[in-house]
Amino acid sequence: MNISQILFGILTVLALVSALGVVVSKNPVYSVLCLIVTFFAISGHYILLNAQFLAIVNIIVYAGAIMVLFLFVIMLMNLNAEVEPQKSKILKFAGFIAGLCLFLVIVAALKNADEKTQTQATQLAGGDIGLIKNLGRALFNDYVLPFEISSVLFLSAMVGAVVIGKKE
Amino acid sequence: MNAIIISAILGVVMMYSGVLTKNTSAIRNVAIVGLIVLLGLNMAEGCGYQLFHINTKGMMSFEKYGLLFNSIAFASTLIYFLLSGRDIEKVGVYVAEYFALIFFILCGVAIVTSFNSLLLLFIGIEIISIPLYILTGADKRNLKSNEASLKYFLMGSFSTGIMLMGITLIFGATGSFMLKGIAPLVTGAADAPLNIWLVSGLLLLFISMAFKVSAAPFHFWTPDVYDGAPSVFTSFMATIVKAAIFVAFLRLFDGAYGEMKGAWQSIISITILLTLFIGNITAVFQQSVKRMLAYSSIAQAGFMLFALFGFNEFAKEGIILYSAAYSLATIGIFAILIKMKDYTFEGFNGLGKSQPVLAATNTIFLLSLAGIPLTAGFFAKYYMLAAAIKNGTQFWLVIFAVLCAAVSVYYYFRVIQSMYFKTGNAETSTITPAFKYVLIVLAGIVILLGVFPQLLLSQMYF
Repeated sequence: MNISQILFGILTVLALVSALGVVVSKNPVYSVLCLIVTFFAISGHYILLNAQFLAIVNIIVYAGAIMVLFLFVIMLMNLNAEVEPQKSKILKFAGFIAGLCLFLVIVAALKNADEKTQTQATQLAGGDIGLIKNLGRALFNDYVLPFEISSVLFLSAMVGAVVIGKKE
Repeated sequence: MNAIIISAILGVVMMYSGVLTKNTSAIRNVAIVGLIVLLGLNMAEGCGYQLFHINTKGMMSFEKYGLLFNSIAFASTLIYFLLSGRDIEKVGVYVAEYFALIFFILCGVAIVTSFNSLLLLFIGIEIISIPLYILTGADKRNLKSNEASLKYFLMGSFSTGIMLMGITLIFGATGSFMLKGIAPLVTGAADAPLNIWLVSGLLLLFISMAFKVSAAPFHFWTPDVYDGAPSVFTSFMATIVKAAIFVAFLRLFDGAYGEMKGAWQSIISITILLTLFIGNITAVFQQSVKRMLAYSSIAQAGFMLFALFGFNEFAKEGIILYSAAYSLATIGIFAILIKMKDYTFEGFNGLGKSQPVLAATNTIFLLSLAGIPLTAGFFAKYYMLAAAIKNGTQFWLVIFAVLCAAVSVYYYFRVIQSMYFKTGNAETSTITPAFKYVLIVLAGIVILLGVFPQLLLSQMYF
């Protein structure tokens, strides 16, 4: 067992436990804090996969910007365990069944995955595609069309934000 | 490529026109002229005239089929602007922005009809979806519109997440976003067991696409969103956008997974069965015409799914004809519905006496949706069922579909019955003569396509 395998194990356990914590904890603030831990653990995975850029962006955008926004909203609305609306038993049960069905479908689809030893995860370009230099080169050469077209997406989202948010 | 770039530019032009003038009818005229230019340039590309030469690295290919669909979508939007443009002005104060968002959606439509890469499919679907969330909530002071928008946004985001997960798994299996990169893997797997990651990825992709076209059991958002959104925008969502996503659906499965259709047909046939059943049966019990049309659009989606079931030439021709027939008729009905004061069936009582032109054209559109011969809807349904029969298996599904079409006649004819055989004073807002002329032309197109469907289909080949 080498060092990266040990790290992988620790990060995976951390990610799973904190992800469970997001769902289980009663206090929304704890949920958000757990989610931040999850994002850090996933960023650790990215670094293990040699994808530094993705790891940094994940921390800056998700753990940084989005989660701070979450925390602000929760604190401003003063949500806590007492004011949390109680869902009916039937609704909880229905949700449980629905989640279980999805789980079953995915397990059924993946149950043979171990038997195929030759099915290796795809490794692109020797595994160093995640370095910033190579990523930039790929983005502005091979993927320049989707990159440019996504500007339309962001423009339309911005127009929409103004239309929805501005006072009439 | 013409359509994608020009429609994005036109979106920006619309935003500037909102800055330069506050005169809403001037803004509308700019939008109409822009749309005519867009339609013309798209048709020109079909004849080989390209404004831009862009190396897409194989991520897009502009074939006759996609371009023809673009033309249908733009032409339908043009008719939609002519009929309901004035009502778009009444929704809120940001008229220019609404038109801009519609042009951005058209850009997304042009992307999803010619993608070759899953990456562009994703971006295209998102460019279509995000402006729609906003248009749904455009009527800001109406609580129902706000609710619909939030509901659509939350559900839509989840389905986007599911789609991304599916694309990720497919990328893991094949190492490529290209449809062409997936196809050999699928064909190679015809006798060997299928690649597990590919199958689970496809399953997730199928779920998210089924959500976007509101196929059962992923249809729950449709009635609330279509009902809550301002009627003008429901008209656009239910027609052009839906048809475009069907074309993307067909392109995705045709390009990459046509070979393994045996594995797909059972899933698709269950989806068709549920969609037809739920859409038609629930539509029967509705009291509001707008909500009835929402369920009817679910039922029509069931018919369009036959194209995915069939996967043959009939299916490809059929989806073109179906999207034209369904979009034109539904745009017409919504245009008339928007003019009504009361959206219930009772609100239509006696329309035949007070507004004979509206009632007559509405009848033609309803007959087309029901699939009565001599209207475009008949041949559209005929091609879909022919595709399924040609396919040779599961004949019971075709019989079930015909039974469902018979059920649909009931709720479409209820509107006709209210208009002609019940007394009442149907109240409408003011109807301009131009509105009537456009309606008559639209009804003429519906009948023309019902008599000579080849007028449209022959465009595919030369």
